[in-house]
Amino acid sequence: MSKVTQRYARFDTAQRVEHGLLILSFTVLAVSGLPQKYANAGWADWMIWLLGGIEMTRLIHHSAAVVLILGSIYHLMSVGYRLLVLRVGLSMLPGWKDVVDAVQTLGYNFRLRRDPPRMGRYTFGEKVEYWAVIWGTVIMMLTGFMLWNPIAATHLLPGQFIPAAKAAHGGEALLAVLSIVTWHFYNVHVKHFNKSMFSGWLSRHEMEEEHPLALAAGETAQKKTVDQAALRRRRHIYLPVAFLLSLAFLVSVYFFVTFETTAITTVPRQTVEIYAPVTPTTTP
Amino acid sequence: MSRNGFASRFAGCVSPAWLVGWGFGIALVVFVFWTGSVLAADHAPPPDTACVGCHAANEHTYPLPSGKTLSLDAGMSQLLASVHGSGATEPVYCTDCHRNDTNYRYPHLPNPAQNREEFGKQISQNCQACHAELHRHSPGHLNAVDNPNLPDCLDCHGQGHAVTPVATLTADPVAMCQRCHQTYADPRIGQVHEELATNFGPDQDCQTCHTDAPIYPADVRCRTCHLLLQSSVTLASGEQVSLHKDPATLAGSVHGTSMAKHGYTPLRCTSCHRDAERYAFPHQPPTAQDVRHLTLQMDNLCQECHPQIAALNRDSVHEAARVRGELVAASCTDCHGSHDIQTPNEPRERISETCGNCHSTINAQYAKSVHGAALLGEENPDVPVCIDCHGVHNIASPETAQFRAASPNLCAGCHADATLMAKYDISTNVFNTYVADFHGTTVELFEKQTPWQETNKAVCYDCHGIHNILPPNDENSQVIKENLVTTCRQCHPDANANFPAAWTSHFEPSPQHNALVYYVNLFYMILIPAVVGGFLLLIGSDVYRHTGDRLRTKRKDRSKKEATK
Repeated sequence: MSKVTQRYARFDTAQRVEHGLLILSFTVLAVSGLPQKYANAGWADWMIWLLGGIEMTRLIHHSAAVVLILGSIYHLMSVGYRLLVLRVGLSMLPGWKDVVDAVQTLGYNFRLRRDPPRMGRYTFGEKVEYWAVIWGTVIMMLTGFMLWNPIAATHLLPGQFIPAAKAAHGGEALLAVLSIVTWHFYNVHVKHFNKSMFSGWLSRHEMEEEHPLALAAGETAQKKTVDQAALRRRRHIYLPVAFLLSLAFLVSVYFFVTFETTAITTVPRQTVEIYAPVTPTTTP
Repeated sequence: MSRNGFASRFAGCVSPAWLVGWGFGIALVVFVFWTGSVLAADHAPPPDTACVGCHAANEHTYPLPSGKTLSLDAGMSQLLASVHGSGATEPVYCTDCHRNDTNYRYPHLPNPAQNREEFGKQISQNCQACHAELHRHSPGHLNAVDNPNLPDCLDCHGQGHAVTPVATLTADPVAMCQRCHQTYADPRIGQVHEELATNFGPDQDCQTCHTDAPIYPADVRCRTCHLLLQSSVTLASGEQVSLHKDPATLAGSVHGTSMAKHGYTPLRCTSCHRDAERYAFPHQPPTAQDVRHLTLQMDNLCQECHPQIAALNRDSVHEAARVRGELVAASCTDCHGSHDIQTPNEPRERISETCGNCHSTINAQYAKSVHGAALLGEENPDVPVCIDCHGVHNIASPETAQFRAASPNLCAGCHADATLMAKYDISTNVFNTYVADFHGTTVELFEKQTPWQETNKAVCYDCHGIHNILPPNDENSQVIKENLVTTCRQCHPDANANFPAAWTSHFEPSPQHNALVYYVNLFYMILIPAVVGGFLLLIGSDVYRHTGDRLRTKRKDRSKKEATK
């Protein structure tokens, strides 16, 4: 294989499926959520109508939220596996270098520097995205729970947390969507189409351009000999724990969804005495 | 015999004394006849002396074929006492009436009358010789020559020659008529006439209505009777309908004075009571079984002049209820009245009073509400009355999902009106904040998209009350802090004490109200531009660098090419 056509593994299949699920849930959440935030706007009215009315829109939003939560649980478990069982490097962990990289990138772009900063497996931009998704999802889940179960929430918190949660949920949503359409879309679609999330691979050219440090590290590093016995032992501990944890999470998701009956489904009709004449009907 | 014999005989008779005697005698006779003729010119015996000669104190009778006898006595004393005797301004002689053969002038021809009635009619022809203008004589009486039951002149003015003076007749004209008109085919008509006769005013009698000259307008006849009548008609149901109608009522209604004021001809009784079904004169017995049906019989009349309003009314709950068979549902006259229609919204309290006639329990609630109290207590011109929320003629059902979904906009009609609310220092944010919240957002979307679908999200009146709505700071208000959790629990049965604070109480988030919400919003107002701005800066700079690079490469290539050329 020539150096030019050489491929470098970036995302395995599970990660790519996970990303696909995130695309799906995020998009559905955004499409069904933003019209709720801007319900007075004409476009929102139209979108909600297309989605089948406000109650259906909420149902869709809730369903997508469940998908996102399930994805998040899976992500948590898979990260745990990678860190605790496989013991791969914490390549996503932000550090001081990322700040420097960001400043240097600006400097390079404004021609204050000759060369762009050399970055590793995940650039500062990708780390920002990743952690933004983590932060956003946590916020959305917390505030979403409060909005979904306001009575349960007000058992623990003052009532005002509910409208505050709604404000945060909407604000965070806007932030997330704007970040995706600016930062994410520009970097992986506009600047050049980074197909690695679909193919799983990066080309050598891409590696050289964007992740030179990772390329260099890969070439210099000795192939680590994996202690298969230790790996198996760690797996035997991790998997049952992860299973139980996942189960606990799934149970909490079930509670999340069915925790309370917030309101009655039908407002009871008032019975009013309609015909109660004051005096016998007057003759004409 | 010699001539001397005749002459001597004549000469022997004609003595001078004889001549004087005869001459004087002849002159006396001539004188007597002359003076007599002169005297006769001034003191001639009346032309009916001969009639009187026979018909005074005549005890004979003349039999009619019917068996009835006519007295041949003229009743001179009665005649002299009658209007045709001493009461007359000019002498009336027998021959003035009995002027020719048909009127029994001398020589009397055999009487063709078969009976007393025929005789009376023939005699009545005599009267018309002098009394040509028969005012106040019903044409029915005069023209019905073929009806033996109808009266002739004599029936009213007196039998025989005792013609009653008019003054005597008019002294009790009703009694006069009642001599014949005692019974009626329909006893109810008799009853009405009796009552009318009892209640006649000083200038009224039967002929007030039953006359042909001058022509009496129908409307005046209606008013005349129905003002006098005090009794009632009893319907099959046992209900009574009063026959008393004061004409002043109609005159004082919008159909009287107001119409006149606007240049229209005021309505008359017959404008509505125009045919037999609508009880025009002559009145037929009521076909309606009860008062309600009587009302409804007349109800479709209104639309003839008010078609647009009638069209609106056809879409109303009242009309729908009536079509379903609920006859008590309001018709035009139930709200507006019939004879006494007044401007329905003057004064404004009149409106709630009108609706309250049937909806008294609701009206009682309304009267105690913040709106009703202001209307009734201070004659407030701004508070809603029934029709402001429910509409006027095309009153929609408040039970529909549509009404519920549209109701916040109904309240907003006033409560989002800044000029109106400024007068009472009421926040106009109530609608915006409602719509910004979960309940309002949902309801507004339902209203826009699927108004026919029920929603369980609260509308204004779910929390504030409907007709019994109180000021939010009233101790009994459903939305005062102390009562709010109870109100929330109507829909959120599990709501706890903290729950009501989840509602922003119609306050825009600010450091004073809903501070947490305010600061969360503020946080994102800073965070979003900061983050997205940072991204855009990096993107922009990247675009700048790369475009620059590309242009430079191109320029270099071009100069290289030129150099090689």
